[in-house]
Amino acid sequence: MPVFKTPFNGYAVKFSPFYEHRLAVATAQNFGILGNGRVHVLDLSPAGPISEFAAFDTADAVYDLSWSESHDSLLVAAVADGSVKLYDLSLPPPSNPVRSLHEHTREAHSADYNPVRRDSFITGSWDDTIKLWTIDRPTSVRTFKEHAYCVYSAAWNPSHADVFASASGDCTVRIWDVREPGSTMILPAHEFEILSCDWNKYDDCVIATASVDKSIKVWDVRSFRVPVAVLNGHSYAVRKVKFSPHRSSLIASCSYDMTVCLWDYMVEDALIGRYDHHTEFAVGVDMSVLVEGLLASTGWDELVYVWQHGTDPRAP
Amino acid sequence: MAMRELVTGGAACAVPGSSSSSNPLGALANALIGSSSKTQERLKEIPTSATTISDGNFYAGTDEQLNMLPGSEFDHPLQSNGQGAEFFRGFRSADQGRLADVWDEIHSPQLPHAQGRDSLTNLPVMDHTVRVNMPLRPDFDGPPQRVLSSFLHSFVNSNRGGIPFHPTPLPVLGLSEGDKQCIRDRSSIMARHFFADKNEDFINAQVNALLSSLDIDSDIQERGPQPGRFRELEGYWNESQGMLKPGPHAADGWVDEYAQHRIQHGDPNAWAHSFELQHGANGWASEFEHEQSQIASVNQIGGSNIANLAAMEQTRMLAHTLAQNNDPKFQNSKFLQFVSKMSRGEIIIEDNQMKPAVVSARGDWAAEYQQQYDGGHTWADQFMHEKLSRGPDGWANEFAAEREQHGSVDQWANEFSKLQVQDWAEEFGNQVGKGALGENSADNWANTYDDFLNEQVAAKQRSDTSRGIYEFSDVNPYVGHPNPLKEGQELFRKGLLSEAVLALEAEVLKNPENAEGWRLLGIAHAENDDDQQAIAAMMRAQEVDPTNLEVLLALGVSHTNELEQAAALKYLYSWLRHHSKYGTLAPPEMSDSLYYADVARLFNDAAQMSPEDADIHIVLGVLYNLSREYDKAIASFKTALKLKPRDYSLWNKLGATQANSVQSADAIEAYQQALDLKPNYVRAWANMGISYANQGMYEDSIRYYVRALAMNPKADNAWQYLRISLSCASRNDMMEACDSRNLDVLQKEFPL
Repeated sequence: MPVFKTPFNGYAVKFSPFYEHRLAVATAQNFGILGNGRVHVLDLSPAGPISEFAAFDTADAVYDLSWSESHDSLLVAAVADGSVKLYDLSLPPPSNPVRSLHEHTREAHSADYNPVRRDSFITGSWDDTIKLWTIDRPTSVRTFKEHAYCVYSAAWNPSHADVFASASGDCTVRIWDVREPGSTMILPAHEFEILSCDWNKYDDCVIATASVDKSIKVWDVRSFRVPVAVLNGHSYAVRKVKFSPHRSSLIASCSYDMTVCLWDYMVEDALIGRYDHHTEFAVGVDMSVLVEGLLASTGWDELVYVWQHGTDPRAP
Repeated sequence: MAMRELVTGGAACAVPGSSSSSNPLGALANALIGSSSKTQERLKEIPTSATTISDGNFYAGTDEQLNMLPGSEFDHPLQSNGQGAEFFRGFRSADQGRLADVWDEIHSPQLPHAQGRDSLTNLPVMDHTVRVNMPLRPDFDGPPQRVLSSFLHSFVNSNRGGIPFHPTPLPVLGLSEGDKQCIRDRSSIMARHFFADKNEDFINAQVNALLSSLDIDSDIQERGPQPGRFRELEGYWNESQGMLKPGPHAADGWVDEYAQHRIQHGDPNAWAHSFELQHGANGWASEFEHEQSQIASVNQIGGSNIANLAAMEQTRMLAHTLAQNNDPKFQNSKFLQFVSKMSRGEIIIEDNQMKPAVVSARGDWAAEYQQQYDGGHTWADQFMHEKLSRGPDGWANEFAAEREQHGSVDQWANEFSKLQVQDWAEEFGNQVGKGALGENSADNWANTYDDFLNEQVAAKQRSDTSRGIYEFSDVNPYVGHPNPLKEGQELFRKGLLSEAVLALEAEVLKNPENAEGWRLLGIAHAENDDDQQAIAAMMRAQEVDPTNLEVLLALGVSHTNELEQAAALKYLYSWLRHHSKYGTLAPPEMSDSLYYADVARLFNDAAQMSPEDADIHIVLGVLYNLSREYDKAIASFKTALKLKPRDYSLWNKLGATQANSVQSADAIEAYQQALDLKPNYVRAWANMGISYANQGMYEDSIRYYVRALAMNPKADNAWQYLRISLSCASRNDMMEACDSRNLDVLQKEFPL
């Protein structure tokens, strides 16, 4: 299965929701601690290697990105200088980024495009806020400030256009409805910092959280006292968690233990796959919406892997 | 804890020779705890784990249709799923021929998402003036940077096995303050993720080891604001806002785009857009939130602290003035930080003693207030900007027009804004009811805020009008002099700058069309450390002689000193354009929209064209100062100095750049060179003082300031620097002499 070498350390990888063969990768120099960043747009080909379709440089680390759900050529990047940048692949590199939105006062750490109301997206930042944006406005529509520490990720609910969840270093996940003035629910999900969260694509009340405590927990927001499942198996902080777009109970995760894991939280032996192809922290993972079972991961070993579940990512 | 046990446990039952891990961490762990390879650990931990899934098709139903997907939200994936599965089967089978077929099928001209394609045309025509091109950082690729990279690598990897991080001594990497802050903040946040198993002390020890070997103070408030970097961002932002303001863009840019977009797109956009009161409602709401959370604890706004408030107000004005004054070295000054701290109430003056405030510093009302003040583009401010630049009815009209086009109804948004406002009002009412916010204090707050806004408007107007207008001295003995220009040149040559200024003023009063007179006057002011007057004079010179290269370069430099990037770029660019040799490099159409990167590229081209031209290297150095790439700037100035070793102002530029990149010791040498060449160079004397002050040698800095002031008592900046150094050196006894500007006393006390 194909591999792509990025010059910088990988931070996030996302499949295009429009083309099976396309994915975007966010990277940062020096592990995102200091230096430039770069966004790669990559194309898969069945036989040959992964080719680079486009690349955009930034003056600071790129921590995350998200494809537009409305335009096949548009993507939004969360940059460590606090800016949120929009790139249009149909324009030549000098015209990019088409937008650079400077509102976050600290590192922007996550970006998520609304899959339902497709002109809007949210970004989470180390300035403890989440901001709501639409592509037609030069300023954010709203700022959600309740978390007491860095917001590491924010994710839209797949069926309710106004609802999203945010995961923070203050050890809570908050559920928000953009029509409400404040958060509608506070989930003290872990005892340690929470680095990632994602919604079940088939059950709009189920959310997964990943924490520095090495566990992933699955919650039903209607009865959030006890988690639905606790997934143990990573040996370091879990960096990202992602529900499958195809299987209701399937979850992918990646961790500072350098592995990518697949879980089925409904069965007893929840860990159903583990890939240790990365030689440094695995920090980005995604599952293709268009091709079932197709996984991509990136890490600080500067490699992007794309593989079919069940195969060896490193197999030539 | 658990993980540790697991690791050791893993070691105990490790199969010898099984450590196949190729990663450095694995090796490290092996070295440390025996032969616990990555795999071993894992097998131990997860009793149920099947490390590899041999069955390739783990879900039997890959070909199962996906139309079981709920709702319509994933309609695009649905469409192409057939292809997707096909694609995949292709991948799995090693049959190359079939693979290719499958691939062709996927890539067949029919595009997977007609809807995606179409919508491209709906994408609002992005207005390129909105885009902000941040210059890239210097490539961290040189040898020292590679050191940094592997250094960070060992830090990042030190999480395994919990070994303390023992950094090796590093060469000087020339990291800027912003970089250091960045490393400090990010590594402390990330370390908490890597070292989750360790206790706080261990984490701090690791981070401190990293920071100290990079020569970074670890005691500065972690996760604090990023002063340097943020200000830089702000600059770019302001600039981009600035670009929006004039021209027709403001009127029709966003609005038109939006209208177009809207018409084609129909409904789904509307929801967010009709946060019409966004600036109002949202701004207020968040404002209120802050308010609310803080008022409980900082209830003193209304009453007890009124005296402090007044004092704060004063310091705030001072901080503001200083921030306006914007000398790059100033921006980094500890003093400015000190002052702004004080104005935020983090330090209180009691009986002339500075005391840290008891109130939690970052959170209080004044801080909020001050941040806005500093920020310069809060909603209120921004609104004013927009108002001023567009005329009073710009906003309203735009908005009304927009509304008309959109039709008025959007349930969601309307509901939302209602909700917001109601809630806000309600909450506010509650607060008042609970008595957390007494009525008086609420009034006070509002009044103070109004006052503050008024003041700000007034200040803005003042500074706008004074900008660029040359202010002549009141009494001028040289008026009526037969040849003031010659006299001025003579005085300037002798280094009697203040006298030279008077003579040259007399000259330009007599011959307002004398470009050379204005130019010399500007240079005299620049060397006297007065960039505002220098700019004013140079602008007059440029009016008379728009293509004078020296004038253009001087304007570029002065604007750089004032951190006005757009203006600096404009002048530096026209310098290039009017240069007989490089004029061809500069496309005239570019002058409308200048981006830093483009201009820098042009000058690099020019430098390649004639590497022997010192001027080009000087401009490059100035440009790199604008982008804060101080290392490159220093290199450029050094190159220029090889070609022009006797240019004292160039030595001063080198020194100032070194000071900005926190190499104050080197800076002092450069300033000394400048002073050796020109002993009456006031600016270099003052800069020397700043460098000593930056190194904490306040007594020395005082001597240099006093010397500079003896030569030019009108250098207001230097008086301020002096005052700071006096207070830092605990020489309050000389404060009065400083305030009354009694140079005799000061010179006697601080001989050089």
